[in-house]
Amino acid sequence: MDATSNPSSDPQIFDSLRLELRRGCLIVAVLAQLRAEHYGYTLRKALADQGLAIEESTLYPLLRRLETQQLLTSQWREEDKRNKRFYKLSTQGETILTQLLAEWNSINDSVNNILQNSDRHSDQTSSTSERTS
Amino acid sequence: MNPTSDLLARYLQAIGEHLPAATRDDVLAELRANLQAQLDDHAEELNRPLTDADIAAVLKDHGRPIVVAARYLPQQSLIGPAIFPYYLMTLRKAAPFAIVIIFLAHCSNILFVHTMPELIAGILRALGQLIPDLILFAAWITAAFAIGEYVYTHNPSKPFGASWDPTKLPAIKSQIKGKSRASRIFDLIFHCLWILYVLAIPGHPFLILGPGEFALRAFPVTFAPAWQTFYVLLLVILGFQLITKIIALNTHYDRAQVVLDLVTKLFGIATTAYLVTMKTYLVATGPSANLAMLANVNHWIGFGFRIVLLITLIDFLVEAWKLVRPSLGARSLVF
Repeated sequence: MDATSNPSSDPQIFDSLRLELRRGCLIVAVLAQLRAEHYGYTLRKALADQGLAIEESTLYPLLRRLETQQLLTSQWREEDKRNKRFYKLSTQGETILTQLLAEWNSINDSVNNILQNSDRHSDQTSSTSERTS
Repeated sequence: MNPTSDLLARYLQAIGEHLPAATRDDVLAELRANLQAQLDDHAEELNRPLTDADIAAVLKDHGRPIVVAARYLPQQSLIGPAIFPYYLMTLRKAAPFAIVIIFLAHCSNILFVHTMPELIAGILRALGQLIPDLILFAAWITAAFAIGEYVYTHNPSKPFGASWDPTKLPAIKSQIKGKSRASRIFDLIFHCLWILYVLAIPGHPFLILGPGEFALRAFPVTFAPAWQTFYVLLLVILGFQLITKIIALNTHYDRAQVVLDLVTKLFGIATTAYLVTMKTYLVATGPSANLAMLANVNHWIGFGFRIVLLITLIDFLVEAWKLVRPSLGARSLVF
């Protein structure tokens, strides 16, 4: 069966593409949010409060990976009588974040240009077909 | 121990079982702090102490221990994406040869059987042993590539990188539609069986004569010595065909393949022509043989071979025409 003719497969395709799209964005968001110090749980809450919910099982290992890549620094500290691991953006992380944001803006501009051009093209096509009919 | 710490401790213990010792305590301490904070928040939202069910729901939402632990481990794969295409290509290219070699190795004992049931049982046994041996073959290839993956990931120079040259890519292939790969593999297997059959004939004439073998023994006649030359010629053709079929496995059906087929047919014509020139196919072995009848039999056998020669010649001409026709072009065909 043709994939386009099967509406039941659309949510699955969307979910899969959405996951791909979010993967890179989440790293940028996490790095940006960690300009201020957070431990895992409060970071997750802060991201969720700003509309970017992320699963614990994704976020916590991600923090460790970013730390291994030296983009974050961490330290164990007591807060509310409990030991917690606090993360913060490192100097190298700040540089990488700046580069990623430049890339992000460049992609955003390109996609916007493509969308504007395609909108203009579809408007022209529809007006031509209206005149013809 | 309160229910919170009990369930949480059991959950963390289950995760810890799948973590490496070097990082286990650190990861579990961090997870404990995060989960404890989450549970505290949840209790605050509900404005009551959490029940076992509440805690279980939070932990269930966090994920199965083995899956959670796996996310803290480096990404693992037996054969990674850089090596995998080469692995797949090797399996695809080597599998037909493995099938043929394994099958022939198991079929070799067929040459020494004496009866038809033994022959059939031998072939069936060879087919039965093919699948487990192929699985073993695939396992060895996989193991070799797993080692290759390890070497690749630990080698900073990363071979298979930018060392390929686009100008060395093969030329555009002819659009002549050929047999599928599966069909070519089966063709090769049946050809190997056919060779085994032909090799077994001298020791077991019943394979070609059937019950006629006993009838032939009743008369004072036997095959002419010239059949031995024919047998050698036949083996040469079969050997040549075997080589072309093996080459055809990994090449697309193109003009070269058609030419090879035509050369094979030409060998067949030469062999049939030799049969026609033999004239004497059966010879008397004793004085009691009816020579007039024997001459008549030889004449009709020769006549049969002439018809076969004619058919093979026509077939050759038709195939040669099919090969030459596209290259003549439409204009040259207008009379």
